[in-house]
Amino acid sequence: MLSAATEAAALERLHELKCTDGLPVVVPTEARVARMALASGLDRDLALGDMGPGKGIATVEKVAVAAVMAGCLPDYMPLVIASVKAVLDPRFDLTEMQATTHCTAPLILVNGPARHGNGPIACGFGAMGPGHRANASIGRALRLAMINIGGGRPGESDMALLGHPGKFTYCLGEDEEASPLPPLHVDLGFAPEDSTVTVIGAEAPHSVLFSGDGDDPESADRLLECLAIGLANIVTNNAVLTGGAAMVLLNPEHAAVLADAGLKRRRIAERLHGLCAHSPDDLARYAAAFAPRREQSAASARSCFASPDDILIAVAGGTGLYSMVMPTWCGGPHRNRAITVAVETDQFCEVPSADPEG
Amino acid sequence: MRDGIAIARLGIPAVALVTEKFWPQGDFVANSLGMPDAPRVRLPHPVAGTGEANLERVADAIAPAIIEAFIH
Repeated sequence: MLSAATEAAALERLHELKCTDGLPVVVPTEARVARMALASGLDRDLALGDMGPGKGIATVEKVAVAAVMAGCLPDYMPLVIASVKAVLDPRFDLTEMQATTHCTAPLILVNGPARHGNGPIACGFGAMGPGHRANASIGRALRLAMINIGGGRPGESDMALLGHPGKFTYCLGEDEEASPLPPLHVDLGFAPEDSTVTVIGAEAPHSVLFSGDGDDPESADRLLECLAIGLANIVTNNAVLTGGAAMVLLNPEHAAVLADAGLKRRRIAERLHGLCAHSPDDLARYAAAFAPRREQSAASARSCFASPDDILIAVAGGTGLYSMVMPTWCGGPHRNRAITVAVETDQFCEVPSADPEG
Repeated sequence: MRDGIAIARLGIPAVALVTEKFWPQGDFVANSLGMPDAPRVRLPHPVAGTGEANLERVADAIAPAIIEAFIH
């Protein structure tokens, strides 16, 4: 427990101790943390797991500290807890991901009614920011947990050469109401009334520009090809190492182009899986140094992904010309899997919204 | 570093090779895994991608240090 004469002094001390992400934080006083932990509805000493690479124990209380520092409202706690659980799943390879030289950050995609009840989580225009408190602070809470519980600090234990801005915060909701597809979590086997977070270790978003043409019967095919060009960039880890996952965020108009062509999520993923491929010659030219790490197939083009299941597809953003794709690191013993976790909203305890310390 | 410690925990003598730029991370990992004195030898940075001739020079230069680390 630290003590300081004023909030300003406490903030400076937190910066000195490398407990922040470089931006000002809300000072996690005992009263604020207690209130945040209470909102989770869970025992504050409950251990969610060990967080690498520092092997800190992620208790509900420590997660609440991160949520306070990030500027979360207590309402967001179930989503913060679920996000922490997701990255603690061994298949996420958090220890290795925090330490890698690659630029990767946990992208949180929220599905289900918690987008409204525990947010609101922005799903439409500018969903990835800035300006949306819940999106900004939930993603930031996960990052602060990864810094202060997991011990991920630049140049010391987090060896990302450059990092990316999503390492400050990287969270949005799926725009289920504007989507012609079933919600992602429903296609993953959850009920529509369930809420989930899907967390994937992702690069910064890459924009994909495409204008549909109602007179063109091949519009959907061309859109898929454009998405694949963005996703299969031959200098991404997915193309070179293969075997990881990726996120495709379709804006509602692009999603409609595909849905109007009769394509469901699974078929879209299958088509992208087929299109995201490179010839042996190109791989030999641009990725020869990594050849021993790939299962070589000398004769035919090789997909960037082991399976269509590795290509996650969600609908978000405003309407217009741009969708986004997020390749991934795809290292680690489990190839940095995307993890979906149910949000335990039934545990949530509503607490007064006013800050106890004004 | 992590691999070196995992191998050592299996009872197999191990010396981790850590490049100059990753030395602080090596210290962090060794401390977090509870083996702060895990043997390690410092390499110049970078090593990867510097060509076979340079790899041989680096190997010749550090071999005595690796043997020394195994002995002690």
